[in-house]
Amino acid sequence: MLLAPDDLKAILEAALEGGGDFAEVFLERRRTTVIGCEDNKIERVHSGLDQGAGIRVLKGEDTVYGYTNELTRDGLLELARKLGRAAGGKGNNKPEIKWQRPQPNWDFQVKKRPDEIPVEEKVALVQRANEAARAVDKRIVQVSVSYGDVIQEVTIANSEGTLVEDERVRCRFVVNAVASDGKIIQTGYETIGGLIGFELFEENDPVELARKAAERAVRMLEARPAPAGRMTVIMAGEAGGTMIHEACGHGLEADLVQKKLSVYAGKKGQQVASPLITVIDDATLPGKYGSFRFDDEGQPGQRTVLIKDGILVDYMYDYLTARKEGRKSTGNGRRESYQDRPIPRMTNTFIAPGKDDPQAIIRETKKGLLVKRMGGGQVNTTNGDFVFDVAEGYLIENGEIGPLVRGATLTGNGPEVLKMVDRVGNDLGFSLGTCGKDGQGVPVGDAQPTIRIPEMVVGGILDEEEKS
Amino acid sequence: MDFESLARNYLELAQQVVEKATRKGALAEAFISTGENLDIEVREQEVEVLTLAQERGLGLRILVDGRVGFAYTTDFSASALEETIEQALANARRATPDEYNCLPGAQEYPCLDLFDPEIEARPLTYKIELAKEMERQARAFDPRVKITESCSYFDRRYVIALANSQGVAASYQGAYCGASIFVVATDGEESQTGFGLATSLKLRELDPAKIGREGALRAVRLLGAKRVNTQRAPVIFDPYVMASFLKVIAPALAADSAQKGKSLFQGKVGQRVASPVVHIIDDGRMPGGVASAPFDGEGVATERTVLVEEGILRGFLHNTYTAAKEGVRSTGNGARGSFKSTPEVGTTNFYLAAGQSSPEKLIKEVSRGLYVTDVLGMHTANPISGDFSVGVVGMWIEGGEFKAPVRGVAIAGNLINLLNSIEAVGSDLTFYGSTGAPTVRISNMTISGM
Repeated sequence: MLLAPDDLKAILEAALEGGGDFAEVFLERRRTTVIGCEDNKIERVHSGLDQGAGIRVLKGEDTVYGYTNELTRDGLLELARKLGRAAGGKGNNKPEIKWQRPQPNWDFQVKKRPDEIPVEEKVALVQRANEAARAVDKRIVQVSVSYGDVIQEVTIANSEGTLVEDERVRCRFVVNAVASDGKIIQTGYETIGGLIGFELFEENDPVELARKAAERAVRMLEARPAPAGRMTVIMAGEAGGTMIHEACGHGLEADLVQKKLSVYAGKKGQQVASPLITVIDDATLPGKYGSFRFDDEGQPGQRTVLIKDGILVDYMYDYLTARKEGRKSTGNGRRESYQDRPIPRMTNTFIAPGKDDPQAIIRETKKGLLVKRMGGGQVNTTNGDFVFDVAEGYLIENGEIGPLVRGATLTGNGPEVLKMVDRVGNDLGFSLGTCGKDGQGVPVGDAQPTIRIPEMVVGGILDEEEKS
Repeated sequence: MDFESLARNYLELAQQVVEKATRKGALAEAFISTGENLDIEVREQEVEVLTLAQERGLGLRILVDGRVGFAYTTDFSASALEETIEQALANARRATPDEYNCLPGAQEYPCLDLFDPEIEARPLTYKIELAKEMERQARAFDPRVKITESCSYFDRRYVIALANSQGVAASYQGAYCGASIFVVATDGEESQTGFGLATSLKLRELDPAKIGREGALRAVRLLGAKRVNTQRAPVIFDPYVMASFLKVIAPALAADSAQKGKSLFQGKVGQRVASPVVHIIDDGRMPGGVASAPFDGEGVATERTVLVEEGILRGFLHNTYTAAKEGVRSTGNGARGSFKSTPEVGTTNFYLAAGQSSPEKLIKEVSRGLYVTDVLGMHTANPISGDFSVGVVGMWIEGGEFKAPVRGVAIAGNLINLLNSIEAVGSDLTFYGSTGAPTVRISNMTISGM
């Protein structure tokens, strides 16, 4: 524990001296290792210690937040009083704090703690991946490989008596390959990671990952520019879950819903997607990047059905948004670090698998675009308009996979697109990323089966002869 | 905070850490940043979130036989600092030696006006009022502006101290502030968003009325937006959109990208990379620039670097390492995101220089085209290949005038083609944070829609 329970109690009491009605302390010690190889050189071996505390005082719907690197009882008492005064209000709310330690809904063991793995071994892994990527083709001109691990110890305590200690261990491995034929440059990107120790690399071979990234970079050299306009789009299961993350995930976060900043506000119980669509957010999936035992408010992570057979069932809540509605948090209160207040965030969000054979979906499509790999995306939650990048896409002609295209973006409207989905495959493919919201990045997982959307706007390039 | 004495104390601490590391046979550099942050978020004329914070950290870079090791800590206790030194030394042993790794020596720094005492002196209530005024102005602009997504004021007051074993020992203090508003305009079932934002070294220069009204205008103007047909047409980027594109172009102008074969511009110094109306500049000592500083993240004096002049590539941005590799001088662009990272090549105040035409004239000259006011998915643009495809919203132009708002369309292309197709540059250079651009007109682009 980063501070004794009695000290935590004193800090929470001090925070409420000004009349606030809820106080919380979030203590964090984060140790990170980053190893980077580029230009055939181990350029980066970095390690860091970042520790600090964030204190939050709530009064009604208002939040006062503060943070410091000073992890002493006196330093934190002073900060707590300052924040308590800033929260305003009258009287001294002296809570009777009785500690309760909630149990997680699931648990797991890290098999190989990354801090017990010699740095040499991590460096060797990075070097192997670098060599594998470079061996793919002589047109590979640059490879950047990076390994990262994080051990985050947290202590979370609040004036309602919640007291949680936890340790989150995450590993991540990223390969970026650059290919050039002398005229154009193209890139290929692959990443793996999770709430998992060094055993990640037993289950996923970094050498395979590196080859995949390099092969894509080389393939993209041959790709033609994507066409422009509306067409049928099939997203392969292996493409990852960026679409669902953007098209509806963000719009189902309760803060945006309550502020009427979401197209899904006020739609609980209504049909918001095709009956083939079920959307789930699940923090309890073993080893996934967005998983955790407890969220950053000490609430156990859980599985929440958001959309069932096309009907909107629930939103994702943190403590504050749940309190506004007099209900319980769904365990989605997350923050980037002690420097940030928690807000509702996704964990691992996915469309549940359906019944169709993915191959049959392609066979039964006359003309369209097959998205084999998605890149990043963004959504305007207010109107549901979103875009995401196609990292690898192929034209479909008469049910067959045709030529590779580059530079495409898919543009659509969340509710419109989800209502249109007419085929859902029985597969499920995961991707991972760092999701940004209000300037905070948190690790998330996304997944979906193969799905077909009869019509989406593909942002590409018109052939010269089509110039009007 | 007493910034003067903090600067003194932390410079002393940085020197001590350097000295300890040097005694272990290494070249060393210690970078300390510390500061106070204030964030105010207002909604419906109430302070919804108030954040008061202090932070600090030390990053230690070690050089042993051409190998670099790095470690950072926010714990300044003697044992933690000792551990950081050991960790950095151990990390260096795992890195590949490179003869160009080096640390700069002592040099002269410019004297810049970076600390507006008013940011420190003005009470919290003044800053809250500024944020509230922004919201009032946005709401008063048009009754259809009904929802505040966010309305905030922030300021940062900081001290940077840097010492190395080659004689650099310097510190400075600075402050900056900013305000932004994101609002939603609604009409029946339809909602559109708009924003206004500004960042400044001077509190007095933040104009809440202007920011509030701009946010409202951007939202209201988009009400009724529809898709247009897929076609090729002239496209105008407003300063915000052009600045967003510049941010994607920036890494390609860093020497490390070129040296590693990852830049669109590699091998093109002295050649045409953009239309003749394009001038791109990085200026680390620009008066009023929010990224201005006397020295960069490794102690090299900042300077003004012309990167693209009349469309011709003049050079790249350098830090000490990339400069040594090419046998040139560092341009003072050893940028540090924070104490948690080593100085990589990065921009300071980076901008596309203003041209002659008023933005109104650029629009008036278009018979049919698209005026773009916001981009969705800019981070998906690929700075290495230069390929981009982004969602855009804006106004459809017909006969030199705004005809109707547009949404749900995409524009795609390659950054090199884009730079070469800029046919006119406006006189309205505007900075968004440390990146600035004027309005520009692109002769022809594919617009993907219906």
